[in-house]
Amino acid sequence: MDDIRKVAVIGAGVMGAGIAAHVANAGVPVVLLDIVPEGAKNRNAIAEGAVAKLLKADPAPFMHKGAAKLVTTGNTEDHLDLLGECDWIVEAVIENLEIKQDLYKRIEAKRKKGSIVSSNTSTIPLHDLTKGLPDSFAKDFLVTHFFNPPRYMRLLELVAGAKTRPDAVETMRRFGDVMLGKGVVDCKDTPGFIANRIGTFWIQCSVSEAFTGGLTVEEADAVIGKPMGIPKTGVFGLMDLVGIDLMPHVASSMLRTLPENDGYRAIYREFDLIKKMITDGYTGRKGKGGFYRINRDGGKKVKESINLQTGDYAPSEKARLECVSASRKGGLRALVEHPDKGGQYAWSVLGQTLAYTAALVPEIADDIHAVDEGMKLGYAWKYGPFELIDRLGPKWFAEKLAAEGKPVPELLTKVGDGTFYRVHEGKPQVFGTDGAYHDIVRPEGVLLLSDIKLRSEPVAKNGSASLWDIGDGVLCLEFHTKMNSIDAGIMTMIGTALKTVPKGGYKALVVHNEGSNFSVGANVGLALFVANIAAWPEVENMIGQGQQTYKALKYAPFPVVGAPSGMALGGGCEILLHCDSIQAHAETYTGLVEVGVGVIPGWGGCKEMLLRWTKNPKGPQGPMAGVGKVFEMVSTAYVAKSAAEAKAALIIRPDDGITMNRDRLLADAKARALALAEGYQPPEEPEIVLPGPTGETAMGMAVDDFRRSGMATPHDVTVSKALARVLAGGDTDITDVMTEDDVLTLEREAFMSLLRTQETLARIEHMLATGKPLRN
Amino acid sequence: MASYKAPLRDMRFVYNELFDYSEISSLPGYEDATPDLVDAIIEEAAKVCENELFPINRSGDEEGCTFENGVVRTPKGFKEAYRAYVEGGWGGLTSDPKYGGQGMPSSIHVMVEEMMCSANLSFGIYPGLTYGAYQSLHAHGTDELKDLYLPKMVSGEWSGTMCLTEPHCGTDLGLLRSKAVPNDDGSWKISGTKIFISSGEHDLTDNIIHLVLARAEGSPKGVKGISLFVVPKFIPKDDGTPGPRNGVSCGSIEHKMGIKASATCVMNFEDAQGWLVGEMNKGMSHMFTMMNNERLAVGVQGLGLAESSYQAAVEYARERLQGRSLTGAKNPDAGADPILVHPDIRRTLLNIRAFTEGARATAMWVARGLDLRKKHPDEGLRTEADDFIQLMTPMVKALFTDFGFDATNAGMQVFGGSGYIRETGVEQYVRDARIAQIYEGTNGIQALDMVGRKMPAHFGRYLRRFFHPVQAFIEEHAEDESMADFVMPLAKAFGRLQRATGYLAEKGMKNPDEAGAAASEYLRLFGLVAMAYIWARAAKVAMAKTDGEEAGFYQAKLGTARHYMERILPQSSGLFSSIMAGSKTMMSFADDAF
Repeated sequence: MDDIRKVAVIGAGVMGAGIAAHVANAGVPVVLLDIVPEGAKNRNAIAEGAVAKLLKADPAPFMHKGAAKLVTTGNTEDHLDLLGECDWIVEAVIENLEIKQDLYKRIEAKRKKGSIVSSNTSTIPLHDLTKGLPDSFAKDFLVTHFFNPPRYMRLLELVAGAKTRPDAVETMRRFGDVMLGKGVVDCKDTPGFIANRIGTFWIQCSVSEAFTGGLTVEEADAVIGKPMGIPKTGVFGLMDLVGIDLMPHVASSMLRTLPENDGYRAIYREFDLIKKMITDGYTGRKGKGGFYRINRDGGKKVKESINLQTGDYAPSEKARLECVSASRKGGLRALVEHPDKGGQYAWSVLGQTLAYTAALVPEIADDIHAVDEGMKLGYAWKYGPFELIDRLGPKWFAEKLAAEGKPVPELLTKVGDGTFYRVHEGKPQVFGTDGAYHDIVRPEGVLLLSDIKLRSEPVAKNGSASLWDIGDGVLCLEFHTKMNSIDAGIMTMIGTALKTVPKGGYKALVVHNEGSNFSVGANVGLALFVANIAAWPEVENMIGQGQQTYKALKYAPFPVVGAPSGMALGGGCEILLHCDSIQAHAETYTGLVEVGVGVIPGWGGCKEMLLRWTKNPKGPQGPMAGVGKVFEMVSTAYVAKSAAEAKAALIIRPDDGITMNRDRLLADAKARALALAEGYQPPEEPEIVLPGPTGETAMGMAVDDFRRSGMATPHDVTVSKALARVLAGGDTDITDVMTEDDVLTLEREAFMSLLRTQETLARIEHMLATGKPLRN
Repeated sequence: MASYKAPLRDMRFVYNELFDYSEISSLPGYEDATPDLVDAIIEEAAKVCENELFPINRSGDEEGCTFENGVVRTPKGFKEAYRAYVEGGWGGLTSDPKYGGQGMPSSIHVMVEEMMCSANLSFGIYPGLTYGAYQSLHAHGTDELKDLYLPKMVSGEWSGTMCLTEPHCGTDLGLLRSKAVPNDDGSWKISGTKIFISSGEHDLTDNIIHLVLARAEGSPKGVKGISLFVVPKFIPKDDGTPGPRNGVSCGSIEHKMGIKASATCVMNFEDAQGWLVGEMNKGMSHMFTMMNNERLAVGVQGLGLAESSYQAAVEYARERLQGRSLTGAKNPDAGADPILVHPDIRRTLLNIRAFTEGARATAMWVARGLDLRKKHPDEGLRTEADDFIQLMTPMVKALFTDFGFDATNAGMQVFGGSGYIRETGVEQYVRDARIAQIYEGTNGIQALDMVGRKMPAHFGRYLRRFFHPVQAFIEEHAEDESMADFVMPLAKAFGRLQRATGYLAEKGMKNPDEAGAAASEYLRLFGLVAMAYIWARAAKVAMAKTDGEEAGFYQAKLGTARHYMERILPQSSGLFSSIMAGSKTMMSFADDAF
């Protein structure tokens, strides 16, 4: 891994700049070069402009603004010498063989020996790229195909040429995996590699069949989306997102390079409507709209959809298809077997796409697991194509194809009655092209809870959470409520963990959830109902119990490591704040967002943030400065958009760890926990000094200013002032010393007083009903 | 012989002392409904009810309606009484002034309704249905339809009906078969058979306006394919007078247990011309505009009959001399004591009274909600009022009619054997009261509506409109010793209700049978607590006035409140236990063992 200490990216377009930003996210210095624009005064204008754009883009390509400092900009005429310092040079220039090869020659002259060169091409075969170049270059060369946007899309396709030295591939794989956090998939040097080869077919097929079957775009997307485990943008929504004008380019490159008899050629069609949309500027979200658009005429935002037959827009209508409701109960098979037009559509799209895919192995990849990973990581499918076939039943699928007189791919015949995946003796296995099952081998340093679940029973379990033995004396606490929201069952399981760790001879506890989000916070639906029936003592008890449970976690006689990825909000953030240490996935989005639903953090979140900021040796000094910072964050429901940002906000401490690849998170957290377990001493209770009423007044005045300037709503004022009282320490004085329980009492009082207001209850209800905060 | 005097003193207490009536009369549009006017209206209504309607109640029951050749005749005296009722303008008391109504608040209407139900329930059903049809048409009809029909319905010249039920579908209207086929002129041809149609045919008015649920040709199956149509018996001519006879006819009338003077008809529609009301396929929701109000009105029927029964029973208990008091003669000069001296008679009478007075006040609480929802300038408060009405409607309908029936039965019991004799008049109340537990959605359906729809709606927001004021009242009076006898039992029962609500919300989400099994008991527990809250508030008002001019009235009020807390509210404990028992036993009981 130390093999790559500095990187160069040539080509500062969307992909190149995005890759450079992400390399910087990994803490690795990166040189970003592009050509000198004709007649430009500033010869670095393109690369510099790209960085400026990166800093403004949303979602942000940089995990932290500071990462931009790691990017050195320049141009390919004056600064090629910089390549001499780089261990990996990635080319991301225009898809033109001549230009690329010319660049390679210039790179070859400047780069240091043994450095790796790669191309981010998505359309040009590797063997063409290296044609005519010296072996010394070809040995160090490979394709590293990132997906847009590079920070967020997890797939990295790696293609090695015949001459590429294996250790270069290995170095690149390690760097991509560990440092960039990607799911690295080995591909062969075939057109579109894995993901785009299948993805392009699937999109073409979905669009064509929608036209043929007379489906509306809403209907097509309703069938393609959730029922198939594909993001709810479906196919038309996806094209709007990536740009409809991109499609003809992708198609023509595929048609140019695909084998003569490839199935894509048979289904390829052009549509006058889509051509006209592109000509008229309806290229999707970046243009005037696409298959969907937001019509703002008349002051209201109305979502509209295009009529595929007439090209006219009309207000979008929720698709009502029986096949979709049937699939909720009966799964994928019920979807494709349903006789309505949606069911027929589902079958024609899935049947063709999956058969096409099954016939591509081993042409495009050696194993089917790589194909599934490609579609899952590159297109965000919940299930890969072979997993989808397993859901249909490979035998049923093969028989249906045969019944329709369609060719049955060899691999399907081979798997016969079996399935492509199975669990054997507690281990996941995959069906190989050799007709045998093989263990799915995880790279070293990857530990997945899902694997552990296959081979063991939980140490403890209730309806909301479980405890798993993850080996070497470490227990893992996992939530499994809806969105991992925190409820009484989770609190109970924390209590169980507090007892089980010492009793069972365990050394440490890791709190980790493998789902897309760590926890969205407390179950406010439950709290709202209880508040609606005025069961105040019950609510207060919920708060008090949560406070004491989290506190007990903090002072437990063993180390507790939080291992979040995705969202860790509200009560989910508060549990992290009580951990001894945090090992966070880089893509952790965390913050105390309680004010959004009209309350304040009540499970010790205020207390822990106060401790972090008032006792921060590097932060602002004096009792008021840290308090002010906490007030600013909590009163605005600040959410860190990455682990790096969370560190800057002190939600994650300076010495906490960050893991780039989420598959490695649990193993890293476990290692951290074990390191802490050596001679572990629980923390000592701190003495807390807070400013008291003067501080409260100061914060209150700031709130009044916000109100006057229209930035705060009336209820924002109420909530912020309640928060100010807690953070200032209530009636304390700068000469007094408070305990943690004193602050917890203030939290509880403030929480209860806010929950009794109609405005807070309205906020909670609105959040539950719409997912958006109510600005009342 | 039973007699009836409208309980005007208690009504005044409820609308003007227990609640702040100025909150209603200050709503825009209700400025004219001053307390003086309200008093005048209810006094006048009392006269009509006592003098015109009550005297034909028993004779109407004896005679019943008659059916001959498609014609229905109401009993003797009904026509005249109806004319007097219409001339008095009672039909349009709360209706829109734009169509000739008086635009009075529901707070007044609810009192008038109660008096009518006490005096002559069968009679009240005729104008009651007209008002129901008026509401649906007013809310959803086009201006053209409204201009054509509403003035005559408001004046009472024409009457109305609601045609929902068919031979094979009652509760499950999704099954209905009546169909509508479009005519070229935008009207529709309606065909089908409707049963149990109150006031479907009669001789009180020149025209009868039916609101009919039917499925338009090509509409989806189930409740989402039902539309609402207006189908007049006589198609109005351009000048608004009844024109040619429409394809609507009465096939027969039902022979019933009670409300015999109310015509319950089988209605046949044969290519009858009708006009769409509101939107296509939205018939169910349009009909429910009326249905919810109607459910409140049915609840008041239970109250009205209980009041009549109470009055008759008290009179009898004072007059009937029989046996001696358990603690020695109270009426030594006569051969026997009045039966009023007996604890069991007193208990019976106080049970009824605690219900009628509690229900009267609760009905007013809800009626005020109707007024606030209709007229309050603040949208947020209008929504709150609607939440409250949504929540309370099933409770009022089911609890009032269940308790109402029990009350008429208890009243009859006071009469001993005489109560069983028809000419005493009290067994009629029992028979009349029975239907209210059934129609407009059986009480079992009301309970399901409450736990299945109203409880979970908006994460329990409807509940807030009840639980928060009650909790606030309890907190406010927690330290007030003079109120302890009322607030302590209320707080205890309220705590049970909170626990039961939390339990049902949680269990019912996982297994709907759990909610279903406890629904009826939950509704009753809820109702008991609601009335306990109302009684505690009434006690507070009365307590301040027990030394004044009307000391007797307020002392009786306090005594009744105490009786409610001591002898009725404790049922909440048993209900709570039943609710918490869960559904397992009844659901695991073998079907063929029943």
